[in-house]
Amino acid sequence: MFLGRVVGTVWATRKDTRLDGQKLLVVRPYGWYLPPHDAAHVVAVDRLDAGVGDDVVVTFGTPARWSLGGRNYPVEAAVCAVVDRTEVDPAAWSDPDAPFCFEPGPLPKGVTPPGWKTGEGA
Amino acid sequence: MIRGRIIGEVWATRKHPAMAGRKLVMVEVIRAAEQEGGSGRGVPTGEVVVAIDTLDAAPGQEVLVSWGSGARNAVSPRGRGTVLADAAVSVVLAEVFEKTW
Repeated sequence: MFLGRVVGTVWATRKDTRLDGQKLLVVRPYGWYLPPHDAAHVVAVDRLDAGVGDDVVVTFGTPARWSLGGRNYPVEAAVCAVVDRTEVDPAAWSDPDAPFCFEPGPLPKGVTPPGWKTGEGA
Repeated sequence: MIRGRIIGEVWATRKHPAMAGRKLVMVEVIRAAEQEGGSGRGVPTGEVVVAIDTLDAAPGQEVLVSWGSGARNAVSPRGRGTVLADAAVSVVLAEVFEKTW
């Protein structure tokens, strides 16, 4: 799962019938995390009625399909929580020179996606 | 599984019902040191992921985060498919010995 900010909404009339009535949101992951597909934005299905400007937690893969109530939905990312607030321990953050920042923005230099497929991050 | 350090917690009242009562933590990913003679501390990457925490880990503690179905099993041992977890804290590390070849 990752944290991101809702930056937009998607409207579509011609879509898979299993997506009828589902709300689609454009989510910008926070700059310090890149989702597994090397994308700057993620479109996620939303059952929690989040709005533009909200911070949300987005889940990937099978759990995203389960959020709609089954495993046969053509969906891969879903909003699973709307964030009230976050609590960060500054002492646990690695870089004291670059304080923890919640602004969505360009990725820091040298940051690559964690090794979801290859296991590099292990 | 990937290694990381708990840096904080995420509070949310509007959650999917399948996530009710679950604690969400932010984990900074740590990768193994590439130089000779690793100290065991690893290298923090600055990447942060959100994971469900069933072990009640505290900020500053090092953990292993499991992904995908492994995360689902960590949250619900009987493997019910309806748990919304693609990342879960499954191990709290006590000490890490690191050696580079």
